[in-house]
Amino acid sequence: ATEAHLKRQRAAPNLRKLVYGTVVVEEEEEEVVDEEDEELGGLFRVSRPEKSKKVRADATDCSRFQPDTSHDWDQEEMLASIRDCFVTGKWEGDKDA
Amino acid sequence: MASLTYEGCNFFRQRLVLATLSGKRVKIRNIRSRDDNPGLRDFEASFIRLLDKVTNGTRIEINQTGTVLFYQPGLLYGGAVEHECCAQRSIGYYLEALIMLAPFMKNSLRAILKGVTNDPVDPSVDLIKATAVPLMKTFGIDGEGLEIKVVRRGMAPGGGGEVHFSCPVRRTIKPVQLTDPGKIKRIRGTAYSVRVSPQMANRIVDSARSILNQFIPDIYIYTDHMKGASSGKSPGFGLTLVAETVNGTFLSAELASTPQGQGDPVLPEELGKSCAKLLLEEVYRGGSVDSTNQSLALLFMTLGQQDVSKTLLGPLSPYTIEFLRHIRDFFQIMFKIEPQKPEDEQKGGEKVLMTCVGVGFANINKTLK
Repeated sequence: ATEAHLKRQRAAPNLRKLVYGTVVVEEEEEEVVDEEDEELGGLFRVSRPEKSKKVRADATDCSRFQPDTSHDWDQEEMLASIRDCFVTGKWEGDKDA
Repeated sequence: MASLTYEGCNFFRQRLVLATLSGKRVKIRNIRSRDDNPGLRDFEASFIRLLDKVTNGTRIEINQTGTVLFYQPGLLYGGAVEHECCAQRSIGYYLEALIMLAPFMKNSLRAILKGVTNDPVDPSVDLIKATAVPLMKTFGIDGEGLEIKVVRRGMAPGGGGEVHFSCPVRRTIKPVQLTDPGKIKRIRGTAYSVRVSPQMANRIVDSARSILNQFIPDIYIYTDHMKGASSGKSPGFGLTLVAETVNGTFLSAELASTPQGQGDPVLPEELGKSCAKLLLEEVYRGGSVDSTNQSLALLFMTLGQQDVSKTLLGPLSPYTIEFLRHIRDFFQIMFKIEPQKPEDEQKGGEKVLMTCVGVGFANINKTLK
């Protein structure tokens, strides 16, 4: 139980950092890369292949959340994992249909 | 006053919507600057025009190649608006943003949107109608005026659909405590078909039922076959499924057939099955708000009265994560994000509890009567 508690404590600030913290990291990375832009013959700049961040910045603006492809809903275990989300599933003792 | 600067065309709508609500100027640079066809696309230009129609005094500057946009928001005016949406994206693309703005207008909004009602990319009008409207009601935006009506259906790529959207204005938004989604009591849906055999919709219904009946018997899927002038310009079919819980949470999934002349055609049976599986995936993710409306719920929480709002969400989508960052930029609000492990094995995946204190946003435009 203590282990689980520690794990949860570790996970909590991580998620906040993931949402609010990574922006800073990305900007720093970009600055470093920009300085590395090499020049050819002092005239031409090497056009770099688009970095992952650039690709994301110009990606399609869509609110749809693509489903997790690792879930196979033909499997019996997957179906069992959401069984209690329905009224036909198991009810907690203190609640009543 | 300095303006916020962003890069790239992604998250275009949320930037402009948040700028309009917060009254901050925004500048977006490098819009597809490395693309063979640089600059803003037609659908984005159409979106800016729509914003211009519902506001008063908005200033928009775009450079010659369309790669830099400067946006200074005006006042949200509302009233009766008619807009021809660009057929590259469906009406859902425009409607999502309009829903975020509508409660904060001066006059209640009555919009007529024309274009593509259903396409495989954006959330369709049916989905928004089934999920966003009840969500708005929980935030105290309700009453006679709140309605989304599909008058004519238009599939991609031709379009030709028509949607009426009306929304009352509110001075303040109610804080909410949506921490218990509850169990799913019924599943509803709409299977639509236009300019194809009406039998298609029945085939979709049968195959979707075959999967969902394992869980719950209370399933009703309406078949909606539109004919003649109300069927738009392109053929197609699709399915929208909504699972409703005892506590009034709506989880949804949808699929539409591939537009004519783009990619492989799909069989209605397959479409029905995959859509039913998408709904199961959505149930697995769970939460009190479904994945397409996460950002709408978070926006209303942010703009609520100065009180604590709590909402349990499924895993945050990339769109929502970026939305949270934008909320921080525009409103200086940071959410408390707590992961919640389901204690029960059979209740789906991990959830996230989002907590924030609203900024106490008051709609000063609204006229007092």
